[in-house]
Amino acid sequence: MDILVYGTINSVALALYALGFALVYGVSRLPNFAHGALYVLSGFITWSALNTLGLPYPLAILLALLATAVIGAVIYQFVLIRVRGMEISEIIASYAIALAILEGIRYVGFRGMTYTLPVFLEGRTTIGGVMVDYHRLLVVAIGAALFAGLWAFTRFTRVGLALRGMAQDERAAMMLGIDSDLMAVVAMALGSALAALAAILLLPLGNIVVESGYNVLILAIAVCIVGGIGSWFGAVIAAFIIGFAQILTVVYLGTHFQMMVALLAIILTLILKPSGLFGQQKELEERV
Amino acid sequence: MKAGHVKTLVLFMLSLALILPAASVQAADPIVLGCPLSTAFLYGWDAQRAITLAVEEINAAGGVDVAGEKRKFQVEVIDTRDLEPGVPVSEALLAVEKLILDRGADFIVGGPVRSEAALAAMPLLSKYRKISILTTGALSPKYHALVADNYDKFKYCFRIHGEAKWLVKEILTSLIEIREKYDLNKVFIMVQDVSHARAAGQILSKVAGEKGFDIKGMEIYPTGTGDFSMGLIKARKNDAEILSIWMDMPESSILLKQWYDLRVPALPFGSTLAAAEQPGFWAATEGKGEYCLANVVNAGNAPSNATDWTMKFYNAYEKRWDIPPEGLGSSSSYMAVYVLKDAIERAGSLDPDKVIAALEKTDMMGVYGRLRFDPKSHQVIPSFDPKEGAVGSIFQWQDGERVVVFPKSIAMGEIQLPPWMKK
Repeated sequence: MDILVYGTINSVALALYALGFALVYGVSRLPNFAHGALYVLSGFITWSALNTLGLPYPLAILLALLATAVIGAVIYQFVLIRVRGMEISEIIASYAIALAILEGIRYVGFRGMTYTLPVFLEGRTTIGGVMVDYHRLLVVAIGAALFAGLWAFTRFTRVGLALRGMAQDERAAMMLGIDSDLMAVVAMALGSALAALAAILLLPLGNIVVESGYNVLILAIAVCIVGGIGSWFGAVIAAFIIGFAQILTVVYLGTHFQMMVALLAIILTLILKPSGLFGQQKELEERV
Repeated sequence: MKAGHVKTLVLFMLSLALILPAASVQAADPIVLGCPLSTAFLYGWDAQRAITLAVEEINAAGGVDVAGEKRKFQVEVIDTRDLEPGVPVSEALLAVEKLILDRGADFIVGGPVRSEAALAAMPLLSKYRKISILTTGALSPKYHALVADNYDKFKYCFRIHGEAKWLVKEILTSLIEIREKYDLNKVFIMVQDVSHARAAGQILSKVAGEKGFDIKGMEIYPTGTGDFSMGLIKARKNDAEILSIWMDMPESSILLKQWYDLRVPALPFGSTLAAAEQPGFWAATEGKGEYCLANVVNAGNAPSNATDWTMKFYNAYEKRWDIPPEGLGSSSSYMAVYVLKDAIERAGSLDPDKVIAALEKTDMMGVYGRLRFDPKSHQVIPSFDPKEGAVGSIFQWQDGERVVVFPKSIAMGEIQLPPWMKK
């Protein structure tokens, strides 16, 4: 039972890490290597809004979501748009932005382990004899609602349908009058807001540190590669595969193999099915 | 000559007499202390602050007397980033080399902070014949073992803070006290996957087992692990009563919060538990870290009256930096500068061989007790009694305060159990 409970929590956390990255790549084919940095940045924005500006927690969260979305849009509009379509340049530019954000955070003095966000709900309960705290349960609930909401958004709203159209075939979408750059900005803003949401949900479990930006990026990439880069549904499935694999590894092999699971998953996917479980880049398979 | 002119001349001569010695002090080359430190991390910046404080005090008092010539200390810091995940050891080595070749370091004080990097830097120090005093972070027993095994090559390397083997002894003694008082005997070990922590975990597992403790398991966590639920569940299932934690990664605060949220009935006992060492830990965890024990390696890193100098240092640090000593590298980094000053003055020279000989004869009372180096291994001689050697410090978070509970000779309070553990 403990594997089921904590496997689910771990999987939802991984999906939350990856969803924003998958969304941006799915729509604009842009590997946003600043994703982890935006995750950390939104954590510090929330912390500052709470502790420096003295805003109420819900308002601080809202501010962080909005601010991160705007920052994401600005990054695309002023930097990434210039290198769009040039894959290596996209990676270099977005990673440079990530470094600038993370080192900038450190430069202004956010260092150490004493920055943290309060949990939404204090307390604990037992599920099938396994003790679990309310906040982790809330993460699962909000995560599930988010997946459902995102599914509905991309099927029943004009913007969502436009994003899906872009993800399926950008040229065809443009022929139907969808503004490619505008949708890319929207995707980047939405992806950044998803990174912020993940941070707001998961950072109260520990603390806000610059280093976690790199870990989040690696985990997001692993999930997206296994799920199939660009596939949001694939990202969720992959998060559950990796999430449970990590927990099973901890239980049966040892904790020190836990971090290898994500990296091993990348290697195995690239060898066996380079486009990932639900990926659309079938040409990768053809190359193999 | 008119009387007025004579007066002016005398005044001029007097002024010159006053200015000239001061000018000669200014003109003397400073003694450059090269500090390779992971400055974005607690064990780096606390050392940097402590070294700076000591240098400011020494310089304000006139500097270092080198064979009659007063010379000031100058601090040069390069960020080694060696405590950050994914940063290769070679970065720290480059920092050490740059301090020596580019910044003209006469001595190396501080790091590298990670044991792996400190060990790798040893041949470099021999190559350039630079004396190094390790003051923070690197706890691997291999460091001083290498000096003892190959003295001629590694005689330049000194370490002024405690090392893993001694820390294990302190922890074991403290565990025995806890067992006597609370009848807690089952230990579950959780360590970070880094050299000193793995070594310490293995040593603790062995020696605690020999002392009759029931070792319920040992989990090794890679740096960056973000979830400890399964380990804590395992500890609970195995009826563990004490969690021995060796982690300096930031994610260890997730472990402590999870421990509280799950009400795991085992007392968390941390070593190099950076997350719990900082004074801001209480506020950051909203009190969830209460009852957590942390070994901060040397006295002075938490308030106690180990020696007359302990609280003097503690208060001076707080006055200078607006925060009390924050991590395990504070008091040792501070003392390293004073010990070096003392050795240079006795040697009357900056010549490495003369300073090494002087350092080997060091015997002074410091912030954390009597400071002497083992002449063969260059490891500071530890003790449970500050009158005899470098004394450690284990504190427990109690009601928002870091209360030193071990060793008895400097304890300011007693270990308490969380309410869900009281039998």
